Amino acid sequence: MHLVIEMLRSSVLAATPVLLAGLGGTYTYYANVFNIAMEGMMLIGAFTAVAGSYLAGSWVVGMFAGVAGGLAAALVFAVFAVYLKTDEFVTGTAINMLALGGTTYALRQMFRVKGAFMSPMIRAIPRVHIPLVGALPGIGPAVSGHPFLVYVTLALAILIEWHIYRTRYGLRLRAAGEDPRAVDSVGVSSDRIRAQAILISGALCGLAGVYLSLGYVTLFAENMSNGRGWIALAVIILTRGRPLGLLTMSLVFGFFDGLGLSLQSTRIPPQLTQMVPYIATIAALYLYSREKRGAPLGKVESDTVGKDPGM
Amino acid sequence: MNKNALTALAGIGVALAAGLVILWAQGYPALPSYAALFSYSLFSKFAIVSTLNKATPLILTGLSAAVGFGSNCVNLGQVGQFLIGAMAVSAFGIVCDLPAPVMIPLSIMAALAAGALWAGIAAWLRQRFNMDEFITTLMLNFIADYFTLYLISGPMWDRATYSPMTKMTGSGSWLPMWDGLSAAFVVACIAFVVTWVMWDRSKLGYEWRAMGQNSVFSRVGGCDNEANFTRAMLMSGALAGLAGGLMIMGGMQHRFVKGMGANYAWDGVMIAIVAANGMLPTGLYALFFAAIQTGAMGMELETAVPSEFALVLQAIIVLFVVASRESTRLLINRAAANLRARAAARTAHGGSHGGSRSSGKEGGERSASGH
Amino acid sequence: MDDHFIEMRSLIKVYPPDTLALDRVDLDIREGEIHSVIGENGAGKSTLMKVLYGMIPTSSGEISFRGRRVRYASPREAVAAGIGMVHQEFMLVPSYTIYENVILGAEPVGRLGALRNAEARRRVRSLIDRYGLNLNIDDRVRDTSVGAQQKVEILKLLYRDVDVLIMDEPTAVLTPQETGELFRRLRDLNAAGKTIIFISHKLDEVLELSDTITVMRRGRRVTTTENRGLGKADLARAMVGRDVVFSVEKPPARCGDVVFEARGLSYVDAGGRQRLDKVSLAVRRGEIVGIAGVEGNGQFELVQLVTGLAPVQSGQVKICGRDVARASVIERRKLMCYVPQDRKASGSAQKMSLTDNSIMTHHRLNQQLESGWRALLSPGKSRRFAQNLVDTFGVLAPSVDAPISSLSGGNQQKVVVGREFLFGADFVLLDQPTRGVDVGSVEFIQREIIRKRGSVGGSAGEGAGVPSAGCLLISADLDELFSLADRILVMHRGRIVADLAPPDTTREEVGEYMLGVREPQTIAPTGAGSGACAGAGACAGAGEGAPAR
Repeated sequence: MHLVIEMLRSSVLAATPVLLAGLGGTYTYYANVFNIAMEGMMLIGAFTAVAGSYLAGSWVVGMFAGVAGGLAAALVFAVFAVYLKTDEFVTGTAINMLALGGTTYALRQMFRVKGAFMSPMIRAIPRVHIPLVGALPGIGPAVSGHPFLVYVTLALAILIEWHIYRTRYGLRLRAAGEDPRAVDSVGVSSDRIRAQAILISGALCGLAGVYLSLGYVTLFAENMSNGRGWIALAVIILTRGRPLGLLTMSLVFGFFDGLGLSLQSTRIPPQLTQMVPYIATIAALYLYSREKRGAPLGKVESDTVGKDPGM
Repeated sequence: MNKNALTALAGIGVALAAGLVILWAQGYPALPSYAALFSYSLFSKFAIVSTLNKATPLILTGLSAAVGFGSNCVNLGQVGQFLIGAMAVSAFGIVCDLPAPVMIPLSIMAALAAGALWAGIAAWLRQRFNMDEFITTLMLNFIADYFTLYLISGPMWDRATYSPMTKMTGSGSWLPMWDGLSAAFVVACIAFVVTWVMWDRSKLGYEWRAMGQNSVFSRVGGCDNEANFTRAMLMSGALAGLAGGLMIMGGMQHRFVKGMGANYAWDGVMIAIVAANGMLPTGLYALFFAAIQTGAMGMELETAVPSEFALVLQAIIVLFVVASRESTRLLINRAAANLRARAAARTAHGGSHGGSRSSGKEGGERSASGH
Repeated sequence: MDDHFIEMRSLIKVYPPDTLALDRVDLDIREGEIHSVIGENGAGKSTLMKVLYGMIPTSSGEISFRGRRVRYASPREAVAAGIGMVHQEFMLVPSYTIYENVILGAEPVGRLGALRNAEARRRVRSLIDRYGLNLNIDDRVRDTSVGAQQKVEILKLLYRDVDVLIMDEPTAVLTPQETGELFRRLRDLNAAGKTIIFISHKLDEVLELSDTITVMRRGRRVTTTENRGLGKADLARAMVGRDVVFSVEKPPARCGDVVFEARGLSYVDAGGRQRLDKVSLAVRRGEIVGIAGVEGNGQFELVQLVTGLAPVQSGQVKICGRDVARASVIERRKLMCYVPQDRKASGSAQKMSLTDNSIMTHHRLNQQLESGWRALLSPGKSRRFAQNLVDTFGVLAPSVDAPISSLSGGNQQKVVVGREFLFGADFVLLDQPTRGVDVGSVEFIQREIIRKRGSVGGSAGEGAGVPSAGCLLISADLDELFSLADRILVMHRGRIVADLAPPDTTREEVGEYMLGVREPQTIAPTGAGSGACAGAGACAGAGEGAPAR
């Protein structure tokens, strides 16, 4: 029983950054932007959050700094990919590299450390104890007492579902992804929508970074996003960008991430248990491909091998 | 070709200037730092040898990415293929100890095969289950990373040491050094020539390039895209595996050490991108990036700029070179159009109708479908 | 009528880098008229209208609307002012419903940008009723016909209350019957006070519909006249600048043996829809068999099955007597030339050089491109091969090393056609070979097709050295079919519903079959040696090695 609760708890904790980044990626998914830069946006957000929190001694500043970091990376992405018409894959990869190199460099440059930066001066984001539920035995510890970003993220998932399917912006966003000319022809700039989508994704990935470095743990380590941005991308593909689907899938991944952690207490070597979430991603893609093939109303693809040359 | 080279140089120039501004803004002596960067990478025999040694893995991972991307295989698994290649060579060198003339070719084959195998998994998943290779290769990176980490801290750990690493391989697989230059560089050069001939001269390479540019075109033209995809993935993986293997065979350590390979794999991805998947540019950019990385060490010694600055500089170079490649053409064309319009308007004021030449068929057709 | 409704003065437009698309164009449109602008492809008609509509900026010149100088920075401003345009290619989101497409860009919103649909849905419905458009607003656009999609485009503009409707080549995608329906709708709209600008290159339509006609040629306005007592020949002369022959000259067909045969081909797509339903047809040496049909009635699938891009599920495909139903693409390419539908999507790789684009498929079949070793290609021989193609087919290109994207569309298409015609194969599959190509290239390509068809045993005349081939021509352009094809097969819902011979049929008859208005003919299984056509020599060894010329 205790183990179950512990795993539920760790699932929620581990799911949050993937979900946050995934929600950001939903916007670029619908805008038909190949957003491979989420990993980098997240990493930059994690760094600027720690820097902000440490320098100002306030988690609020840290949080805003994290979002701003993600936004800054997204701005670079948008300028290059949308306005200078650079290939999205290329720009995204360069931003990931810039994030990796830049944070490593800044870590040494600002804090004179290599590898990881820890300090009691870094203020973590507060945890929320839900009054009544938290007292319940069993469920209480699983759902209560998390960093408040966990609850914000859940609310965001619902809000974004509404935003994408029920509002003017959502209608234009999805149309711009499907046929930008159709949107341009009615006088709405598809470039602008794409840029906005990238910026929104940057802000949310930045927030995911904040959660990583000020919520999940309270430190910054080199390459601490550790592939979560890419897992988020896989989750988006799996759920075709439906925010509520993302919510479920992220929890599944959180579960496997947590499973890896729980298994560490067993005799299985930790290096092997750490592989679990990545293997789970491949397994999920496999199941998805099976399901896609079985679908009776799948769209006819005239060329199964052909992929966008732009990739 | 010349125009491309000029745009690339302009992009590099702008990027270097941007790097200068970053250094200056942080209070470092910017120009002396750059001077150190280049003197430690280019302006002495030792510097050049260090750069060439550094370039060895970069050439191979760059070729790996270029072959992949150029064939429309989004192989982002160089990290994993590199590690598995290195692991294969280490394991082989630990288990077997044969004379060098046997050991070296066999080790090279092992590296190629191991890298190809790791990439082959992703290729198989793509062919069999239509799973996007860019995600599977990324996931396989992490799996390879943890798997090798498990091996070197468990079953293959050299108990004489305190940090995770394997035992040394037998000396049979060690590549010779000449004045500090490792024979690994020569192997990389041979690999470069072979890859270049395949890519630019062979039927297979032609089909890869055609598939990379337009897979429907190559399919309609009778190329077997499925088989070519697998072949390109295997080739790409083999090259990355070789890069890993040469890290063990060349250099000084001759063993698989934790954190080995640093960023070489991702550097290769950037090199291919900035070289637009061309073989010759890939080689040149690999040398250039090697120079930056080598020089960055010297820069740290001289002006205390952290050597990680090299990573930042590389990423900036990629962004600017690629952006300049795409946007200069747009800008030049727009400027030309303005001139032309002004000329046409001038004729209009002159009132002469015979004076202006219509652009004729070719131009006209484009205008109808104009956007 | 107001004489200062729309006035355009010395408009100049240059497309980067130096294509002069509009050369000092003046044009007046009066309120409430139907004004046609005609001209060949590339005459500048569409450009002129896009400039008026604010889609592309002019390089210089002035436009005024209702006496005020205007310069619309985007279509949104033009629409707000009352000018709307229906593009040649529809600007619709396929997965959206008709209603969603109509409101896109002019959405009714409440607080926080949430959509408020009730009122707007009523309005869209009432517009449909008022103008007799006969649409269901909740249908997804991708499930509707081309004609319906065009009505959606018009509906979009009506929803935005425009006074001026610009229709850019609206009939290009319609059957004759749909065209008639469109013209009725346009007249209704005109009667309701809308000004209509109608862009076309089809003379009959223009003469039928318009009050005023403007002719453009090579970026200039040639003339504007009232549509009174004008003849086709006058307009044509003004359009082209010389007298025009309305058809391509073609020697009578003399058919030989069967080079292509399909029997009982059926195809069900991944979505379970029957795309082809027991299609049987044969093509004999020396004839051009045309396939007419509204797009999406199985032509695409037929081509896929014939070329081997999709697997044959049931039925037979024989080229030159060989059963190729299970053969790979490359095996089939030894026996056939194939000009694919879309040169950008499947006929070429735009960033590759002209040489690389011209050796495709030849690189496998033509050993003369090898350099000593079988696996390697010789760059020199490849370039010479491309140069030969350029010379033979009159391609205008800076160099064979230039990327093919630097060529005009017509020249690109000549490269594609030339590449395919350089195979010596006896069966030629042509899928929309002249779509989106300038007039000069169309004429050239059509002549080449007729040359390729040749005539069996034609010892006399120009056909002498050219071995004759059988051609299967798929085209959405009825004019092209009527001028090239010896027989026209009509496809409707995956079946061949008619087998007609051009001199004895009319566009209207073909159109009725295309729409499924007429009962399908019972078509005798077409086989070898039927009727007047005498058999001739068997298929040549086909394809390998030496080019045809």
